[in-house]
Amino acid sequence: MNSEEHVSAATSAIVKRTHDRFERYRRRTVESTDRLFARLLVAQWLIGILVALTFSPYGWSGRVKVVHQHVWIAVLLGGAIISLPLALVARQPGKPLTRHVIACAQMLFSALLIHLSGGRIETHFHVFGSFALLAFYLDWTVMLTAATTIALDHFIRGLVWPESVYGIINPEWWRFLEHAFWVVLCVGFTMVSCRRHLKEWLAAAEEGGLIEAMAESEWREHSVLDRQSADIAASRK
Amino acid sequence: MARWAWGIGVVAWMGAVSAGFASVWSYASAPGVGTRAPATWPEASRLRLARDRATLLMFVHPRCPCSRASLADLEGLLSRTRGLAAPVVVFVRPRGVEAGWERSELRRSAERIPGAAVVDDDGGEEARRFGALTSGACLLYDAGGRLAFSGGITSVRGHEGKSFGEERIVALLTGVAADRRDSPVFGCPLDDEPTTKESAP
Repeated sequence: MNSEEHVSAATSAIVKRTHDRFERYRRRTVESTDRLFARLLVAQWLIGILVALTFSPYGWSGRVKVVHQHVWIAVLLGGAIISLPLALVARQPGKPLTRHVIACAQMLFSALLIHLSGGRIETHFHVFGSFALLAFYLDWTVMLTAATTIALDHFIRGLVWPESVYGIINPEWWRFLEHAFWVVLCVGFTMVSCRRHLKEWLAAAEEGGLIEAMAESEWREHSVLDRQSADIAASRK
Repeated sequence: MARWAWGIGVVAWMGAVSAGFASVWSYASAPGVGTRAPATWPEASRLRLARDRATLLMFVHPRCPCSRASLADLEGLLSRTRGLAAPVVVFVRPRGVEAGWERSELRRSAERIPGAAVVDDDGGEEARRFGALTSGACLLYDAGGRLAFSGGITSVRGHEGKSFGEERIVALLTGVAADRRDSPVFGCPLDDEPTTKESAP
């Protein structure tokens, strides 16, 4: 092997190490975030049921009471929303499908909690809190999935039940832009932050890979020298 | 599990969740039975008509969770109109329930609304007289006892926020033109016998 080939082999070894190191960091983060969301989704489900049981346990017709639809919605729809993400976290942790389904489920939970709380403006903050948590994945495509889910929810409801989104039946044509602006702002900045973090990780992985390669090459050099010394010593004897 | 199986799972999940949300929103957007209010203030009524300004009546089922939003919107409406109407919140106690049944959290929150008179309607006599069938029904009578508005002031079931009903009442009281008349009522039926299937709680 000539010196050029040596350099090329060393470079590709460093690149491979960098890549492996980076993927290891990433996988560890993604899997732990999957587990975090699994716990969070179950907690949100229980909170949703608690909210329904506290604020609207029964529907009334005169003196006759029945279990309110909100209770059934919280139990059944909430359960349906978390079912697939939980199955994916258990069976496919760290896979792209898992985190995209989680992003979708998290946004659907925002919509459900907003409904259960009677459209309270404070509950809308759940959407933005969820974007911040989804940024833990450091994957801008996950943010895009979440933003698309909430945009579709607003778009479809705006067409079929506009009063449920904007509180009025014929909102101004630009009303959706006001909602979209805040989401775009939040998603845009978190996406920039994700990319910046990934770049830093890549730099750290490169540095680590280089140090690792240098240490290994030094170790190899030492072991060759040690072997040669041992051979010389043996031949002298 | 194979990739295609997860794909089918995702499609089935999206279908189930979409169907769930569709049922949620169609329920939330289904109004109760509309108000059949008399065109003039009923002479037999024990409720008092204000002679110096309009009277705004709201009929409420004491335990209807949807009416929490109606009361919150009423409070907002009153702060916008600042004394232009005399508000009366009528809590309808269905026939056959024990005394004190109407003393609910909803009633206590109505009592906290500044300037609002809270009265009880035993057996729903006044509600029948004024044609109010659904909790949250609002009626606005002018000082001469003529009906100016009847309907609800929430945009969907149990959700606070802007609605055409509220805008219409504000417009009538302040003399500004409003763009729509019909305002559905969202709430629990005041009587045990639902008149239409939409009125079920």
